Amino acid sequence: MTKAPDPRLPASQPAVELRGIVKTYGASQALRGADLVLHPGQIHGLVGQNGAGKSTIIRILAGIEQADPGSGLVQVFGEAVSHPSPEEMERRGIHFIHQDRLLVPTATVAEAIALGQEPKFGPFYNGRRATRQAEALIRRHFGLDIPGNRLIRDLSAAEQKIVQISRALASDARVLVLDEPTAALVRREVESLFSVLRNLRSRGLSILFISHYMDEIEEICDHVTVFHDGRHVASHPVASTSIPEIVTEMVNREVGELYPRRSHAPGAVVLKVEGLGRDGAFSDVGFELRAGEVLGISGLLGSGAKEILATLFGLAPADHGRVTLEGRPYAPGSVRAAVSRGVVLVPEDRRRQGVSVSHSIRENITLGNLGLLSRLGLVSRSSERSLAGRGIADLSIRTTGPDQKVAALSGGNQQKVVLSKWLSSGARVYLLDEPTVAVDVGAKVEIYTVLNRLASEGAAVIVLSSDLLELAGLCDRALIIHRGRIAGRFEGETLRPELMLAAASGATPHLPGPNMKGAA
Amino acid sequence: MSIALPRAGLIGERLAASALLIAFAGLFLFFALSAPAFLTAGNLKNILVNNVAILGVVAIGMTFVVKSGGIDLSTGVALDAAGFGFAFALTAAIAAPLAISLGLAAALVVGAVNVLLIARLRLNPFLATLALLFIGQSAQRLLTGGGSPIYLGNRSYADVLGAIGRSDLLGIPTPVIVLALVAALAFVILHRGRLGREISAIGAAPEAAHYSGISTTFVLARVWLIAALLSGIAGILLTATVRSYIPMSGNGYLLDAIGAAFIGTTLRRDGRPSVHGTLIGVLLLGVVRNGLLLIGWNFYWQQVGIGVLVFAVLALSYGLRREGRH
Repeated sequence: MTKAPDPRLPASQPAVELRGIVKTYGASQALRGADLVLHPGQIHGLVGQNGAGKSTIIRILAGIEQADPGSGLVQVFGEAVSHPSPEEMERRGIHFIHQDRLLVPTATVAEAIALGQEPKFGPFYNGRRATRQAEALIRRHFGLDIPGNRLIRDLSAAEQKIVQISRALASDARVLVLDEPTAALVRREVESLFSVLRNLRSRGLSILFISHYMDEIEEICDHVTVFHDGRHVASHPVASTSIPEIVTEMVNREVGELYPRRSHAPGAVVLKVEGLGRDGAFSDVGFELRAGEVLGISGLLGSGAKEILATLFGLAPADHGRVTLEGRPYAPGSVRAAVSRGVVLVPEDRRRQGVSVSHSIRENITLGNLGLLSRLGLVSRSSERSLAGRGIADLSIRTTGPDQKVAALSGGNQQKVVLSKWLSSGARVYLLDEPTVAVDVGAKVEIYTVLNRLASEGAAVIVLSSDLLELAGLCDRALIIHRGRIAGRFEGETLRPELMLAAASGATPHLPGPNMKGAA
Repeated sequence: MSIALPRAGLIGERLAASALLIAFAGLFLFFALSAPAFLTAGNLKNILVNNVAILGVVAIGMTFVVKSGGIDLSTGVALDAAGFGFAFALTAAIAAPLAISLGLAAALVVGAVNVLLIARLRLNPFLATLALLFIGQSAQRLLTGGGSPIYLGNRSYADVLGAIGRSDLLGIPTPVIVLALVAALAFVILHRGRLGREISAIGAAPEAAHYSGISTTFVLARVWLIAALLSGIAGILLTATVRSYIPMSGNGYLLDAIGAAFIGTTLRRDGRPSVHGTLIGVLLLGVVRNGLLLIGWNFYWQQVGIGVLVFAVLALSYGLRREGRH
């Protein structure tokens, strides 16, 4: 289904050339003369903090937005595009994989991939053929078996991303723009995505790769352009630069340590988990967590790591084992019960489970503290206001004010809203599920700092992350879950990404390879 | 990206917010000028009592439901249940306060069924209340031998019915006072209270509300009981005003209540339901009904007028919003 575009274009001619782009929104300038030049057969990284102008230049490239009249130049394969529109850009072979999953939840995998070019049986949609084609496509590019008749909404985030990319591959793309493609993927899937991208590159495609993960930029990209404050501040071959250099360019200041250090003086045992199990998800999980400790948990998709968090948060009761919280038995039958015992979760699906995007920052922060802020069933507006003000100042949430809608905030700032929701609630145990997914580097460091502060103030913190580098940098100890069991405990000298990765992949002689298929 | 465009849209925002008020004021002026009888104390009182008070109470109940992310098609059933219970109790020579309680209890039974189906079993509110609407209509036919009204013309009921339906306090008719009290209380609960926050969160982001430790079951249970109770109050008012229980008269309030609640959401830019927005929606519908009648529009054309009006309000608020954006 994927036709290779003509790779015989002169190497000197850029696939996409944006020069001197200016874009003004109201009083603020999002872009002030930005350049972006992509060449065929190149994987081009685009990095920058949120607000640097990355999304704006992508939207201009997508034809969703137009540059200010009279400013700059938009050229695709040497031809100036005078009236850019999404249709026009797609006609010229520019395809987008958006960060948010823009798939119809109730469509099947086959329907999603075939959308717009459905195989026909006479005048009718040929569902059977679409299903076969979709399955074959996914198998060919990703080596995965995702049934073509499954509904999008039943897929994991990773599988949805795979379907989304497959859809673009099914079209005749000459330039592929991937916005945070790996945000929801685990390492293994990232690797298969990368091999797909390399394959596409060798066929002459031009790929724009936007990522917050510096190690990915280093691994996959040939060239990297750094945006800061509405401009390109650097653009050079990846081979001639380094991660610290890129990060320095991004934030325009020296970044000493990505992972802030903290003095580690654990207190009493807060959470004691013994032989915990839930049928079909995980079994025999045991650990102790002390006040002031940050414990990492990781595992491949479907390993059961996520389910352990869900059980501790009262979303799904355990079938076996025992949990003790501050000396008392703890078996929450509901989220409400968990929260009332001081166990809170910062969920991965931030926009659905973490915040209400149509509410203001103030209202979101209040949501976790209604008991604290209410007298006789009435919410005290002054206390609410001061709590929101404190939260914004405390976590340096970048906003126009407490009444700004959360939808308008960047991922990192939304995450800070979720955190500040719990900071005043007196929570004792913080469960964080992929806390830095789709969060830019600057905000990541801020989130790490908050977690460290929480720990140093005596909270017990569990961080689930598929970013093993992050776990190694942030946590005191880490548990790796493989097929529902603890496959390794890492601490001190052994707390190293490569060792944890091996355990997560089940890389012991007696175990078969990792199970890459969806959630258990 | 979060490129804030804060001030540019402010004027349009304000205007958009007032599209509903502009429409209301315009209509009011139009009818005042074109129908001499419109702007008289008697007629305005008539609008409030006959077009606004009862519908207002029902529509405020609907506002709770809509804010929680649902819709209540059984509101007329609860209204009729209360009317039937009240009328039936009076004919059985039960004392008025107890009769009122029985009527409200009957409405709460409808609410309790909704609590079970929607808050507990998590059925889709549209389907659950639609089923209840069908069942409620049949039940009324069965209970009244095919739909014959219970008349309360007997003099012995005159006192109590008059006290509810036709009395006034300092010149303000009782049903209007009831609406004012209901609206004030609902405003405090929805816009100042903890419950209001929980309802709003569940309506906008049910999962985020759940993950914040809010018991969605209990909050939704209260929403549906409040909605049923308000429909019940409206049923008592209606029965007392028309001095009879007429089966399935609640149907007449269903679409208007939904309409008023949703017209009310155009009051705010963020499109959230509100008690004050709903009240303006109710007033708008009441003024149009009454005004069209006064300027001599054929009764059959009234609904056309209301439909056009809804389009006009939406177009106006949309247009003003766009205006502010560019």
